[in-house]
Amino acid sequence: MARALRFRFFRDERLKYLAHLDVLRLFERALKRSGLPVAYTQGFNPRQKIVFGLPMAVGLTSSAEYADIEFAGDLAPEAFISRLNQVLPDGIKVLDAMPLLKKGSIMSQITSAKYEIEFAVPRHMDYDEINGIVIDFLGNEDITVMKKGKKGSKPVNIRPLIYSLSVRKPDNDGYILDAFLSAGAKNNLRPDLLMKALNLITGLDLAVGSIHRKAMYTSAFNEWKDPFEVANDD
Amino acid sequence: MMRVKLDDALLLQVEKPAKYIGNEWNMVKKNPESVAVRFAFAFPDDYEIGMSHMGMKILYHILNKREDTYCERVFAPWVDMERLMRGKGLPLYTLETYTPISEFDIIGFTLQYEMSYTNILNMLDLGGVPVLAKDREKSHPFVCAGGPCAVNPEPLADFIDFFVIGEGEEVIQEIIDGYKAWKASGQDRTAFLERVAAIEGVYVPSLYEVLYYEDGTIMDIMPKSGNVPDTVRRRIVADLDKASFPDDIIVPYVETVHDRIMLELFRGCIRGCRFCQAGFIYRPVRERSPEKLNELARSSVRKTGYDEISLVSLSSSDYSALPEFCEKLLEFSEKERVNLSLPSLRVDNFSLGLMERASKVRKSGLTFAPEAGTQRLRDVINKGITDEDLKASVQLAVAGGWNSVKLYFMIGLPTETMEDVEGIADLGFSLIESCRGIADRHGGRGLNITLSTSNFVPKPFTPFQWEPMDHISVLTEKQYHLKDLIRKRTRRIRYQYHDPKISHMEAVLSRGDRRLGKVIHTAWKLGARFDGWDEHFSFERWRRAFEENGLDPAFYANRKRDFSEVMPWDHIDIGVSKGFLVRECKKAYEGDLTRNCANGCSNCGASVYKTGICLAKEKNNSQEVDKWPGH
Repeated sequence: MARALRFRFFRDERLKYLAHLDVLRLFERALKRSGLPVAYTQGFNPRQKIVFGLPMAVGLTSSAEYADIEFAGDLAPEAFISRLNQVLPDGIKVLDAMPLLKKGSIMSQITSAKYEIEFAVPRHMDYDEINGIVIDFLGNEDITVMKKGKKGSKPVNIRPLIYSLSVRKPDNDGYILDAFLSAGAKNNLRPDLLMKALNLITGLDLAVGSIHRKAMYTSAFNEWKDPFEVANDD
Repeated sequence: MMRVKLDDALLLQVEKPAKYIGNEWNMVKKNPESVAVRFAFAFPDDYEIGMSHMGMKILYHILNKREDTYCERVFAPWVDMERLMRGKGLPLYTLETYTPISEFDIIGFTLQYEMSYTNILNMLDLGGVPVLAKDREKSHPFVCAGGPCAVNPEPLADFIDFFVIGEGEEVIQEIIDGYKAWKASGQDRTAFLERVAAIEGVYVPSLYEVLYYEDGTIMDIMPKSGNVPDTVRRRIVADLDKASFPDDIIVPYVETVHDRIMLELFRGCIRGCRFCQAGFIYRPVRERSPEKLNELARSSVRKTGYDEISLVSLSSSDYSALPEFCEKLLEFSEKERVNLSLPSLRVDNFSLGLMERASKVRKSGLTFAPEAGTQRLRDVINKGITDEDLKASVQLAVAGGWNSVKLYFMIGLPTETMEDVEGIADLGFSLIESCRGIADRHGGRGLNITLSTSNFVPKPFTPFQWEPMDHISVLTEKQYHLKDLIRKRTRRIRYQYHDPKISHMEAVLSRGDRRLGKVIHTAWKLGARFDGWDEHFSFERWRRAFEENGLDPAFYANRKRDFSEVMPWDHIDIGVSKGFLVRECKKAYEGDLTRNCANGCSNCGASVYKTGICLAKEKNNSQEVDKWPGH
């Protein structure tokens, strides 16, 4: 039982076209339908006390989204999961939850994320060729592209924001790029921008398919950690 | 059964793709194979507009309560989506099952606004359904239409197989039953149309013939056979408490225009403002009981998760049990952190107190609708509000902490002079003046006013249905004059106005006859769609469409009709008599007021429905016509 929980949820193909704000509204209304004793902020316009780890871009699927939520009373994680899932639409469901004993916002804790990026090659290329190109790409010390920020676009070297890239060839025609990227409020690298940079630098015309977020991490003591692991760290 | 395949190549290329995927909370899921009737409810505008429409929610709910019917939704895809769909050869589909609309039994459009007519043609075409009713064959769906604009169905007669006049709750059931019986009979399309033409409230245009005089006015509108009624009487629901009203409405993912629970307090309006079509075509006033409304409020919040409820009616202050009802509703909404929005409330001590409690969000805007700038003109339109009323209300609001108010007016009303137009600005100035000091004393900022003018469009079934509309140039001149007056005088007043060209086309279509079908068809072929949106409307396109068909828009918009002229909608009977409208028109020119229904009956004719306020007032019905209190 706890007054606050951290939870993980997924979003699949069915709801991947929702914008971030749509997802926030979706949770707000689902929580209201659930009748769970969600805590509200004080003041003129009370809001539910819920914070999300990372925004979700339109088109992104994910099996690892995180949020922190506070309640007006104690609640067991199991009860939270079952009651909320009953009123969440198909396509977004809570996977697990754990008590959050101390304050600390998930939003400020997330620092990296792992993605699977499907892509197709413009001409026939075997695995070695495309793998070589990606390794060469990583060899660049400077990969400067225009990055959109709050005050418009500006050139940013995104190389330090790429932790690892590797190419896989599943059975089908396309390829998958496993990307481990900096994420979060400070240094976020969106996977679509990464692919743009890859095309720009290599001169290739890779067609980006679906993008899936499969993990996000916090960093503590120079280690990547699952947000559930650090939830109650000192 | 075909299902349209949606993928990234389509949906990641368009704005707000979540408008096109359905699967919202409370969307009805059924197996289409297991129902007898598939009904596509079509809203001829963008999803964000259409999902705000209460009528659709009601009929969706009612139809889907039937086990034999599956009602699905379809909206006009925004231009970016349409372009891609056409490029990829994708047909227009419903959001529930992604089925092309051509596979449905019945497609039902709601007509909320004349400027969405070209979207109807475009949606049918995009759905692979022949645009012209005469081209549809046995395999095609029937296309029907209802809603307020259907009171003059004639401009759409070429495209719509049958119209439903009035409220749809009951008549839709009869239509579905009729459809099942017809389907079982194996008869041809005409047999179905003849069958539904016998249902009260259903109008099948192809069963009527229109004869014209040489000058283009109508000689007669008559049924082609003896089995078809001469006039079609509007349907209404006698008792709102017994009518089904949904509490499990669909909760959209994208933000819509009215993204909240809507509670319908009553239908109709007691006021009888002479320009207002809604004030006549929904008579008589019928209220929903406060008990029923409170019950609906609670279950709606529980089933949708919305945190806002809006009270819907044409004039909420006229709800007879308003204080008691609101007290009860507030007990609930405050506890559940639900905001109440209270549009169309007269501003007084009671309503301000109510608003203060109802909404925890900032005190932003209050709106008033004096409609005309001078007392003389307000008397002409039977708008029972005085400068003093208005001043008192605004002062009260400013003292209560509201610092911005919006005032709605019309320009181009019958008998309007430049003096009346200037009266709009003068009213704004005098309000600013009269509130000087009040805000300071209450620690607020000074009053800011937005004056908004719309262009008066004469509508069928109003006392002004015979009136010419102002020419575009005249409206433009009035707008510029107002703009100029205000700009010279103060920065505290903002002035907003509407494109007179769009209003002009709205006027043409709203009082049009059957011959306009060709014009609408041509305009659509020239690319017209989303005509109600400034960025998509092209006056030039419509001008060409008129020219190509040898018709003159001024004949429809700017011509004064004689009381004896046959109107294109004279075979539609909305319950209010033509004689009453003539009397009201004459009184308008005299500046004579007509009392509201709550003060006594003025014999408009709506008592034929034998329900609502007509019943309640029958006992103390006096024939003399008294004036508004305060005059």
